[in-house]
Amino acid sequence: MATLLRQSRLSGLLPRPQFGARSPASNSAALPGGRSTGLGLLYPGHIPTSPLQKALLAAGAACMALYDPYRHDMVAVLGETTGHQALQALRDRMRRDPEGAQILQERPRIQLSTLDLSKLQTLPEGSFGWEYARFLDVNRVSPDTRAPTRFVDDEELAYVIQRYREVHDLLHTLLGMPTNMLGEVVVKWFEAIQTGLPMCVLGAAFGPIRLSAKKLKVLISELIPWAIQNGRNSRCVLSLYYEQRWEQPIGALREELGITAPPIVWTGRTQSPKL
Amino acid sequence: MAARRSRALWPLSGRGCSWALLSLRPPWGWTRPMSTEKPGADTHFGFETVSEEEKGDKVYQVFESVAKKYDVMNDSMSLGIHRIWKDLLLRKMHPFSGTKLLDVAGGTGDIAFRFLNYIKAQNQRQQQRELKSHQNLSWEEIAKWYQNSRSPLGESHVVVCDINKEMLNVGKKKAQTLGHKRGLAWVVGDAEELPFDDDKFDVYTIAFGIRNVTHIDRALQEAYRVLKPGGRFLCLEFSQVSNPIISRLYDLYSFQVIPVMGEVIAGDWKSYQYLVESIRRFPPQEEFKEMIEDAGFQKVTYESLTSGIVAIHSGFKL
Repeated sequence: MATLLRQSRLSGLLPRPQFGARSPASNSAALPGGRSTGLGLLYPGHIPTSPLQKALLAAGAACMALYDPYRHDMVAVLGETTGHQALQALRDRMRRDPEGAQILQERPRIQLSTLDLSKLQTLPEGSFGWEYARFLDVNRVSPDTRAPTRFVDDEELAYVIQRYREVHDLLHTLLGMPTNMLGEVVVKWFEAIQTGLPMCVLGAAFGPIRLSAKKLKVLISELIPWAIQNGRNSRCVLSLYYEQRWEQPIGALREELGITAPPIVWTGRTQSPKL
Repeated sequence: MAARRSRALWPLSGRGCSWALLSLRPPWGWTRPMSTEKPGADTHFGFETVSEEEKGDKVYQVFESVAKKYDVMNDSMSLGIHRIWKDLLLRKMHPFSGTKLLDVAGGTGDIAFRFLNYIKAQNQRQQQRELKSHQNLSWEEIAKWYQNSRSPLGESHVVVCDINKEMLNVGKKKAQTLGHKRGLAWVVGDAEELPFDDDKFDVYTIAFGIRNVTHIDRALQEAYRVLKPGGRFLCLEFSQVSNPIISRLYDLYSFQVIPVMGEVIAGDWKSYQYLVESIRRFPPQEEFKEMIEDAGFQKVTYESLTSGIVAIHSGFKL
């Protein structure tokens, strides 16, 4: 029976059958690239998964994320399971950039433990750090709500996607978008162009479904073209060592990146934009 | 391949009873959890090895985190078939009015509620039969009959005992929603050390709980202790699949689909990984039957359901 399954076309998807004993060996399949570590754990929190499991996870996560938009962990899982190729391309882009290569080497993390919010608030008004602290405050978010990576089977790529998640809030600040649905969709469009991650593409495509007609109009007529243009023109946003740029004025940073001012300015946390 | 062939010796039919001539070869690669282990010894937690003290805590954490989505996950994972298994357990139990049931590891109350419904339905049927046989009743008799039928449960009572407070909380809320007010008690307790006196209950059930207990033999001894003479022990638990084809499909489903379901529905991969691993670690039907006999129970039988995915073991304290 096992031989039949082995020879079947689906054998690439199924984990290797274990002959004889249902031994308590780890059920993780050999890692892609033929590598197979002892326990299969490449980094803390790593859960090795077979291609079939990844496919099921991706499908399930996509459905659940649409069904219950508050399940941010499902969006994260979708990103991890579908992003292998895009993450590789992203990592290669980062390697070619000198600042990006430095990031890959030093692996800085943006967490409340490494960030000093009070210090950022004392920075001069209009500086990047000050704007970021204000963004966190106004939108009442914290940099620690990002789920850790679990399903990426390469340790460096796991860091890349973790960095992408942590940079997401910084992107909100740079683009001037709030954390409501409209703002998130705009940032997703920008990220989709920049990173090419399937999760961003899906989020950009399906996010607008839950928007009202008025917002949809604003989105399509002004915000999306602006996001696409900026996504194309700007540098790879993951290649910036943000931790060294807190004092830089945000205007200068935007110019360095190639990001133009947003067509719409939001005041505080109001839902309706000030056109 | 040799191992697979020896598996084919197991009866392919669903029923496996104690008096069938089975090869008593123990399953390869497994040793029976030793009951005489020294304190501080190691045991299994799924496929991991942990110390015995740790296992209790880890199991507690697993059930604490899955409690709220426990019923939803049960339905998804077993495609609703767990309801049939539990109904079959009740049918096997066939309780009558006045039975005192102890449901250990009863958490969210599935067995307890089924028990109460069973007794109520039985009593209702009995009352209807009585009513039919009494055709010419006087007003006094009718009034008296309505007074007597106030207690649809009679003396029947069920105590739900679980070590995990979260699971009991979920169960209590369910009881309120379903409208079970009387005949229920919720007690926090450890299956290895039950907080009850000897010879107290008519029936002891443990459904999908005994594989999580650190010392199964102690739980069985406690079951023996709290049952009245003539009392019945019933255990519904995941067991060994005899058919090799179904076993292969079952393994595939267990290891590939269930943790994914756990992650998507409950946001918890690791607990469901533990679940499927702990099922593989549990002794097969015959071995478990021997463990029950060791605790002192007699007339121990088992019935495999769904080709052995679950089995109901039954024993009597005589």
